[in-house]
Amino acid sequence: MVERSLVSVVDDDESVRESLPDLLREFGYEAKAFSSAEEFLASEYIDQTKCLILDIAMRGMSGPDLQRELRRLRHQIPIVFITAHADESTRPRLLEHGAVECLSKPFSDAALLNALNSAFHVS
Amino acid sequence: MGGPTVHPADEIIRLRRCINDLVSVAALPAVWSGGNPSQIASTLPDVLLSMLDLDLVYVQLKDPIRDTPVEIVRVAQSRKLAVRPHEIAELLRQRLGPEVQQWAPLVWNPFGDGDISIVPFRLGLQDEVGIIVAGSQRPDFPEQTESLLLTVVANQAAIGLHEARLLGEQKRLTNELDQRVALRTKELRAAVDELQLRLSMLQTIPVAAWTVAPDGTPDMVNQSWFDYTGQTPEYVSSDPEAWMSTLHPEDRERASRVYWNGIRSGRGFTMEARFLRAQDKTYRWHLNRAVALRGPEGKILRFVGTSTDIEDLKQSQEDLQRAEEKTRLIIDTALDAVIATDSRGTITTWNKQAEIVFGWNYNEVIGEHMPDLIIPERHRMAHERGLRHFLNTGDGPILRRRIETTAVRRSGDEFPVELEVVPMKVGDEWAFSAFIRDVTEAKLAEKKLRESELALRQLTETIPEMLWSATPDGAIDYCNVRLLEYTGFSASEIIGSGWTRLLHPDDADQAARVWVSCVATGKPYRVEVRTFHASDRTYRWCVTSALPLLDQQGRILKWHGTVVDLHDWRLAQEELRTTQAKLAHMTRVMALGALTASIAHEVNQPLSGIITNSSTCLRMLSADPPNIDGARETVRRTLRDGNRASEVITRLRALFSKKDLATESVDLNEAAREVMALSSNRLQRDHVIIRTEFANGLPLVKGDRVQLQQVIQNFLQNALDAMSDVEDRPRQLLIRTERDKHDHVRLIVQDAGIGFGSQNPDRLFEAFYTTKNYGMGIGLSVSRSIIESHHGRIWADPNDGPGATFSFSVPQDPEGVTNVRGFDAPRTPCRNGVARNP
Repeated sequence: MVERSLVSVVDDDESVRESLPDLLREFGYEAKAFSSAEEFLASEYIDQTKCLILDIAMRGMSGPDLQRELRRLRHQIPIVFITAHADESTRPRLLEHGAVECLSKPFSDAALLNALNSAFHVS
Repeated sequence: MGGPTVHPADEIIRLRRCINDLVSVAALPAVWSGGNPSQIASTLPDVLLSMLDLDLVYVQLKDPIRDTPVEIVRVAQSRKLAVRPHEIAELLRQRLGPEVQQWAPLVWNPFGDGDISIVPFRLGLQDEVGIIVAGSQRPDFPEQTESLLLTVVANQAAIGLHEARLLGEQKRLTNELDQRVALRTKELRAAVDELQLRLSMLQTIPVAAWTVAPDGTPDMVNQSWFDYTGQTPEYVSSDPEAWMSTLHPEDRERASRVYWNGIRSGRGFTMEARFLRAQDKTYRWHLNRAVALRGPEGKILRFVGTSTDIEDLKQSQEDLQRAEEKTRLIIDTALDAVIATDSRGTITTWNKQAEIVFGWNYNEVIGEHMPDLIIPERHRMAHERGLRHFLNTGDGPILRRRIETTAVRRSGDEFPVELEVVPMKVGDEWAFSAFIRDVTEAKLAEKKLRESELALRQLTETIPEMLWSATPDGAIDYCNVRLLEYTGFSASEIIGSGWTRLLHPDDADQAARVWVSCVATGKPYRVEVRTFHASDRTYRWCVTSALPLLDQQGRILKWHGTVVDLHDWRLAQEELRTTQAKLAHMTRVMALGALTASIAHEVNQPLSGIITNSSTCLRMLSADPPNIDGARETVRRTLRDGNRASEVITRLRALFSKKDLATESVDLNEAAREVMALSSNRLQRDHVIIRTEFANGLPLVKGDRVQLQQVIQNFLQNALDAMSDVEDRPRQLLIRTERDKHDHVRLIVQDAGIGFGSQNPDRLFEAFYTTKNYGMGIGLSVSRSIIESHHGRIWADPNDGPGATFSFSVPQDPEGVTNVRGFDAPRTPCRNGVARNP
């Protein structure tokens, strides 16, 4: 059996945590869902995670906070931000800070796949 | 000789007689020795008559002192003379002329017929002594012997007279000397007597008098001094300064200084000092004066002085001075300028006030001509005429009463004065006192008062307000022009009780009743009445009000009232109410922007789930073999999220639909939850710890759900704003519902924010009042409108600790069923532990 790359989802919205891992598995990735940044940091999956799908606005530590924390801990995980706040100024700033992509909810499966391909450098 | 023959015996006798006579004559000087010329002159003719046969002898002796000579005439006793001897002397002088030498030898016989022979003999060499004339009727006269004898007699007489004259001169000199000595002696005696008199005068004059030696030692001191001071001569002479013991101790040093200065300088002195009067042991003021008495060479011999008791004088002088000072003070402190003049207008009195008013000092004006200084030039002639008229007739129409006129200051400025001139007869002269008051200020004040009255009148007539006044009994006595113009009535129609005809018939009776009651009680009058408006012949709503003007005892003096047209204001108010409602809607629209973000979030979350689930579902169904179980699960989640989105949309539609107060039964717990759900994003972002205390079995309230939610939303929004800057404590928020008294339900929102400080909580609900740096201050105002339209109450309280509590209370719905659902409310977006019941 081929070893599948782990994509971790961190979002405080339950419906995202329920739906997104199933789709990722359909794409062929291993998927784990976490309800907060703290939970993800405390988990054993940081090192295995090859890509992070991260909600921006969360109670407690926010998405960008987690991004900074991971950089501090020297984890080079590609990050795809997702957000329900459609703010046009947010995306360029996040890309500038090293994000692979920033997707506004709701987003299509194609958009998500493109973002993942970018993260895994699949042309 | 040629006469008749003479008998020789006779001749002898005749010769013998002649010799005897010569002897007698020769003895004459001895006889005359010591006699005076007049004695000689008187004896000489007697001797000649006794010796010779003569009829007359005339002797003339020149007096060396007097011009008129001494004349003696002797006539022989035997002759009967018809004339007196001095007539004979006169006749001789007339007939014979002044020159004796040229006398004829014969002259007529003064005693009878024929002539008489006369022979003159000079006495002395140049007849400087006098002459002797001998006369005889005998034709032979003079015989030889007679001539001889006469010559000898003349010589002898000349000698005797000369001697007698010398002797007389001597005697006269001696006499004169004696007389002079006697006179001088008499004079000296008188002088001594005078001196004695003077000395005794000095001793007894009623003034202490004294002399002092040039070295200052008392020399002579008179009795008056001793009597006055009780000192003795021995005491005074015992020491130069002994006399000073009579001085008052306070005066002693000064007096001693003046005394010795005067003595040593030689100038003498004048000083006043108190002396002890021995008689009654009192000190009395004395004037002491001393002057130097100098000898011919200017050397000081003595000082002469007196000491005069001037106590009484001084006393009366002081009394006089005090009286004068008092008068002067009274005049000087008088409010009026006081000027006195004599009848010619010469200034004699000029008080301080006069100095102030006119600008001339006392010293400058005394003796000056008053009209030249203070009467304007154009009035001076009239003044002089009036003065002359008064002096001539005693008639002075402007005297003794206050008149207003114009005066002139030193600067030349003219100014109004009130003047009263009072004439006084001093002796035979008239004098005048003028009392002058500068009324410039008073005139100005009067003018100002007039202007202010005018201004007030203008004000009452021109201000765009309707004014009226009434007497204490309620009768209208004044209406300003505005009021007349507005109503179109004339003053006479309104004055008194006619005012009710200005009012709408439906309002007049009520207004009149209120007015009567106010007039009786003194309470302020205020009614809203429809008042006739002339220009469009309509009645317009006006507020008529009046306040009583009270005196110090609280009695009504007057009523002052206004009429204010509120018609437009009333309309405007209604318009305002409409505007406010619109504004409330606008506020909700404005909140839309803020809500959009959370709406988007709330809707995007389930949409995101739907799309992801659908994508997954498609992929699961497309797989070979299809993952039917997985697809079923994704569809189930899709449906759930779709419902969730639908719920959000429904609530949003309700929130933003503009509709009039929709009365329905509202569960405040439910409404609050929904609001919290809509705000959850903000709550989350601001890290607010929200706590709810929703009462179980809370009654439903009657009202518009969305409007009430808007109030809750506003409370919540304010609470979050108040806490946005709070970093030092938890951002805690409590939302509580509970039953309130009087069948009301209450909702409170308590924050831990910055509170509203010392602000009056009631002001927070005023429109456009805000303590925030942003926002329009309209939210709470709209909230109040909403709660009031629900017949409820809204208020704010400061917390005991930090923050504030906002509350509203609305009536419960009497028909509403009790909310028993409690916490079984439909699921809300309040997740993530943001909202939890305790």
